[in-house]
Amino acid sequence: MFEMNIAIRHIRSRQRQTIFSVIAVALAVAIITISMSMLSGFTSYIVDATVENQPHVTVSPEEDEDYIYLYHGLLNYIRRQECVIAASPRYQGDCALQYQHNVEGVVLYGINPGDETKILNVEKDIVAGDFMSLTGPGNRIIMGSKLAENLEAEIGDAVTAKFPGSKPTDFTVTGIIRTGTQADETLAYANLGQVQGFYDKGDIITGIGVRVLDIYAADTLAEKIDYEAGYDATSWMEGNREILDLIDQQAGFAYIFYLLIFAISGFGIANILIMVVMDKVGEIGMLMAMGTSRRSILLIFLFEACILGMMGVIIGSVLGYVSSVMLASYTIPVPPEMYFGLDHLPFLITPKNFIIAGVFAMAINIIAGAYPARRASKMDPVEAIHEV
Amino acid sequence: MMENTENTYNRGDRRNRGNMTKMIEIRDLTRIYGDGAEVRALDGVNLDIGRGEFLAIIGPSGSGKSTLLNQIGILDTPTSGRILLDGVDITKSSEKERSRLRNRKLGFIFQYHHLLPDFNAIENVMMPLLINGVKRSKARKIASRMLEEVGLFDRMDHRPNQLSGGQNQRVAIARALVNSPEIVIGDELTGNLDSRASDAIYELLRRLNREHEQTFILVTHDEAMAAKTDRVIRIVDGQIVEDSG
Repeated sequence: MFEMNIAIRHIRSRQRQTIFSVIAVALAVAIITISMSMLSGFTSYIVDATVENQPHVTVSPEEDEDYIYLYHGLLNYIRRQECVIAASPRYQGDCALQYQHNVEGVVLYGINPGDETKILNVEKDIVAGDFMSLTGPGNRIIMGSKLAENLEAEIGDAVTAKFPGSKPTDFTVTGIIRTGTQADETLAYANLGQVQGFYDKGDIITGIGVRVLDIYAADTLAEKIDYEAGYDATSWMEGNREILDLIDQQAGFAYIFYLLIFAISGFGIANILIMVVMDKVGEIGMLMAMGTSRRSILLIFLFEACILGMMGVIIGSVLGYVSSVMLASYTIPVPPEMYFGLDHLPFLITPKNFIIAGVFAMAINIIAGAYPARRASKMDPVEAIHEV
Repeated sequence: MMENTENTYNRGDRRNRGNMTKMIEIRDLTRIYGDGAEVRALDGVNLDIGRGEFLAIIGPSGSGKSTLLNQIGILDTPTSGRILLDGVDITKSSEKERSRLRNRKLGFIFQYHHLLPDFNAIENVMMPLLINGVKRSKARKIASRMLEEVGLFDRMDHRPNQLSGGQNQRVAIARALVNSPEIVIGDELTGNLDSRASDAIYELLRRLNREHEQTFILVTHDEAMAAKTDRVIRIVDGQIVEDSG
């Protein structure tokens, strides 16, 4: 293919400009792949944290009801669903916990520890004690790390739960949990039966937490439960719509930023090609006189844009990958309160990001090369030949 | 001695022209330039050129000789009139067809050699063949043979900036002839060369014309060179005022 041959020679003949324009594209690709790795890491952290710290589907009482009565049938129905890994009945209530002079408002979860550990990986967040200790004799409680800090309570201390209309009940602290979220200030777990007894409500629950095989199938399951069982079922996506929208919005802004960076590097490519076209006017005229079609002239300069772009993409991808790996190997601290409990800069290096950045860069380079290429192909051969 | 041979050849050629088949037929060709002030570069030109002719078009600067050459070379389109190239009306050809005809039927040699500076001599000569879709290995063989014919076989790996003006023009001639075109067009092709190099180029073209029976059309303002051709066409103000044929 003679067009490619000519394109390569043109690039070789302008080594200095070639190096600078390739560096511009490479830097753009490197910066964008590093930025994408950070964004992916952040998104992945948020999704993981959300998915791991709450049920994939939460089943709530029917409309106008506060509780789910006779819930065992519903529980069996949910557990029979193909995509369901586990389902855990819960009684969620507000109360106050007192330890000595300290009192804090808490959200008390009554759960079956065996079921709960199947829907949430709570054990990994336990920083003191043991989650399964809730199955032991007597009233036992596991509380969030911040809550314990605020109450100044430690393992083995007895805290008192109080709620209007309920008899104050003592619970022994048998574990401390740290999820890394704000829930650590208010979260407390106790055995389902003991919590039901504390609120004096009998064998009823306020909801069922469900874990599914494919987290993105949670929406479908929620709709099915809603439709078939008549209970209000909410998927984790629906429950965290704001955060997910925020991530999408952030990604949208990031893509505008990427586009601007690529546009700048695209100008570099356009610039070198305009210079080549201006320099090669006579040559273009002679090629036309030799029978080169306008399409082939167009191809020559588009090939040049592609070759320069490709070199930039390859070098930039390598640079971006190495930089991302190096940055990921360091713990770069960030304020957790600003980043949903995240205390360091996360990196997730995925091939998808490099493919997107490469395709994006190539597309912009070809667009940048189109103007000079078109200009060359539209030349009048007579004028071009005599312009020496 | 050389001159005698030349004259004998010329006379013989002129004698035979009546029997030549028409390669180019030009009818009422007019080319007008300019949007505002109109410039009539060619004004109703009629001309027949036979296969294998070796002719010169001469005229003062701005007379329209290069315009006529550009029309015959399918580099420009006329305002009116017709040009038949080997029976094909090229004024009605599509852009694609014009490119194809330029590649297969025409060879160009300009005052400035217009060799591609990033390619060496043989690669420059190969270019029309590659444009024509000939395989690289075959193109190389044909190009090296052509360079041998113009006496530059030992310079085939040299780039234009490593060759003299005369040598570059020889490479340009080899490039113009490599696709075995039926018409070879030369526009002031010795204008940049000294008289010795010019004579050498003329002799080379003469020999190639004899050996390959191609039609050679040379535009020149060098009366001495024109006189050595078989036919001289003089143009003034866009009209043919003299045709020695």
